[in-house]
Parts: sequence; structure tokens; C-alpha cells
Amino acid sequence: MSEGKRRAAVKIFILGPYLVLLYLLQATVFPRVLLFGAKPMILPLAAVGVALFGGCVEGGVFGLFAGMLMDLACNQPTVEFTLLLTFTGLLLGTLSDTALVQGFPSFLLSAVAELVLCSAFQVLILAVLRGAPPMLLLGAALRQCLSSLVFAIPFYYISRFLSRIM
Amino acid sequence: MKEFISKKGIYIAIAAILVAIAAAVTVAVTGGHAGFASLLSEPFFKPVKSALTSLVGSLEHAYDYIYRYDEMEAENQRLRARIAELERDYREYTEISEENARLRALLGFAGRHEDLVMEPVTVVSWTASNFSSSFTISKGSSSGVELYDPVVTENGYLVGQVTSVTSTSATVTTVIDTSLRIGALISEGGVTGVLSGDYDLFRSGLMKLSYLGEDGSLIIGSTVVTSGSGGVYPAGLVVGTISGIAVGSSGLDPYAIVEPSADISGVTHVYVITDFAVNE
Repeated sequence: MSEGKRRAAVKIFILGPYLVLLYLLQATVFPRVLLFGAKPMILPLAAVGVALFGGCVEGGVFGLFAGMLMDLACNQPTVEFTLLLTFTGLLLGTLSDTALVQGFPSFLLSAVAELVLCSAFQVLILAVLRGAPPMLLLGAALRQCLSSLVFAIPFYYISRFLSRIM
Repeated sequence: MKEFISKKGIYIAIAAILVAIAAAVTVAVTGGHAGFASLLSEPFFKPVKSALTSLVGSLEHAYDYIYRYDEMEAENQRLRARIAELERDYREYTEISEENARLRALLGFAGRHEDLVMEPVTVVSWTASNFSSSFTISKGSSSGVELYDPVVTENGYLVGQVTSVTSTSATVTTVIDTSLRIGALISEGGVTGVLSGDYDLFRSGLMKLSYLGEDGSLIIGSTVVTSGSGGVYPAGLVVGTISGIAVGSSGLDPYAIVEPSADISGVTHVYVITDFAVNE
């Protein structure tokens, strides 16, 4: 097996179970955890971490699967997270490969941007598809961002640790 | 020897007599409770005696530990096994007791609605979304669960509706979700309306009863039940009680705020109504 294939296999064997574990936590534990009156989203945070430390390809692929599982965890027929996490994973990974420093400020900034984008996308889809008044949803969106950001520090260290062992 | 006795012996005898006198005096002074020797020695020896007693106790304990270890280990194992057995019995008892209470409630509800065919299911997981309210249940189409089947608690309180089905699981959207519309009737007064979730009331776990069909009084505390119109829900399922009355932004459309009777966020076991008689 070539070095490239071996490394790819190691990444799959590490990131695959990591993703499954996160999905199980997201679908079973975190729906029962209310912080600031909202359920935290941990899969987008994990996607940001993998993209920042892994680069464009890892960010995109992990974002795709994380997005699919996030949509699944939300019991929704739409694919908003699948699209969003894939594209933000690709974008953030590219920035990480070229311009972004792989430190906590970059992670925090990227996490805030990702969470705001996710919430805004959810509000937009509800407004367009169901005619929901966006202003009424902004409070819930803000609470969702805050409750998720509580987990930014642990996910920064987990992502950094995983990137070092891969 | 003779010289020793004559010289040293006298001194020893004198000393003994003095000690005896001192002891006698001490006993007399303390009322016979403590001798001279014990009074003198106790302050010095008590700590040492305590330490020795403690040491002996420890040695005895160590002796027991060494020579009776196997016996104690076996006893410990027996007790641990017994505790585990009792804990398992207690868990089983609690589960059976809870199930018994649920089945008794269901029996009462099913007795009142003999036309309903119900499938007991457990809640597997809840949605991770902050903008909707739904959960996944443990049975799907292979158990007879179909799309749009109503879901109730053991007391017959409406929880929601099946909105997607696979062969082994299904998703239930709850009554507080903004996507559901339920034909409803206020049991006291007969006012009809449409029950739905509302983005403003969602966080509080409340619903909105709007499009009130005819003039009638809205009384706080009145029970809201399904009207049965449309044939999606059986008539007469309790949905909630009116907890407030408000007016829409236009000022012309009054609506009632309804609190669900079922503990929506706390349900763990629910019943899917797979068939019922439609009375229109």
C-alpha cells in the first residue's frame, strides 16, 4: 500500500467512528440538553475543526457526511446542512491550506461564522417554505448559536488532537 | 551478703515502707479509686498504652485479614451477587410497575374508544432542531404504522402525527410543531377551530386555536378535543386546555392559546392509532 493510501485509510478509520459517535451524541444526548433555551449543534463545530486542521478535501468530505447526519438528526426532509457543511468545509479547508492560521482564534471565528450561517439558512428555509416570520425566529437562531459555541473549546482541542494522530 | 542486707536492705526496706505509706495516703485521699503508682504512671503510659492497644487491634485485624481473607472474599462475592440480584429485581419491579400504570390508563382509554386499534411504541430519539418538534419511534411500516397515523399517550392525549415511515421506525411530528393543522372542537360550548403550532408560542410548548368557526365563548380551562373532521384523527381525542385568549395583529381574529394535555417533551412510551372508525 502506498503512503498516500495508507494515510487515507488511517483518516477514514479515525474520522469515521468519530463522526458516528458525534451523530449518536447529537441525536440522543444533545436534544435533551438545553443551554440558553436551545439545543446545541455539535456536528457543525466538528466539521469546522476537521476542515481547519485537515484542509480542503478532508473538510469537504467530512462536511458532506456531517451535514447528512445533521439533517438526519433534525428529522427533516430538506438537505440544508448537507449542502451548507459541505461547501463551508471546502471553503474553510481551502482557506486553511492557503491563508488561515490553524489556531484557536481562527477556529472560533470560523465556528461563529458556520453557526450563524447554519441558523440563517434554517430561518431562510422556514421563511421561504413555510412562510414563517423571520423576526420571530431570530431569537431561537441566536440562542442556538450561543448554546453551540459553549462547546467550541473542547472541539478545538479534539480536532487538533485528531489532526496530530492522523 | 549479710553486710549487704544490713546496709542496702535497710535502705530498700525504708524505701518500700515510704512507698507503701505514700500509696496508702494516695488511696485514702482519692477515695480508693487510684493508687499511687497508677497516679504517677498514668500520664506517661496512657499514650503508649493507647498506641499499643491500637497496634494490637491492627495486628488482630491483619491476622483476621490474612487468615480469614478467603472466607471474607467469598462472603463479599456472595453479598455483591445478592445486591446485583436485588437491584435487578428492583429495576424489573419499577419497569413492571410503570408498565402496569400505563396499561391501566390505556385500558380505561381503550374502553372508552373501542374502535381504536393501537400499537405501543417507544420514543427512540428527539429531533436536534430548535425550529421543529418531532421524535423517532421504535416501529415502522412492518408493524402496521402508516403515514399520518395519530399518536397518543396511554391516557389518550394527542401527541402528534406520523409524518414519515420506514420499515422499522417512524417520525412523529408533535402537536406544537408549526407544520401540523388539526381540526379541533372546544368540548364546552362546541366552538370549532384549527389547532396549530405557532412560532411565537413554540418555545413555551403551547399551541394556537384559530379560525374559530362560530361565535361562542372562549373559556380559560376548557378542554380542546379533535373534531374528527377530515378523517385524519378520530373524534374526541383530548389535545389540551385553553390557557389564554389573544387577538391577532389585525385585531379582528381572536384565537385561544392551548396548553397540550400530554407532556410533549417528556413522553417515552406512546401509542400509534393504526386504525379507527371514521364518523363524519
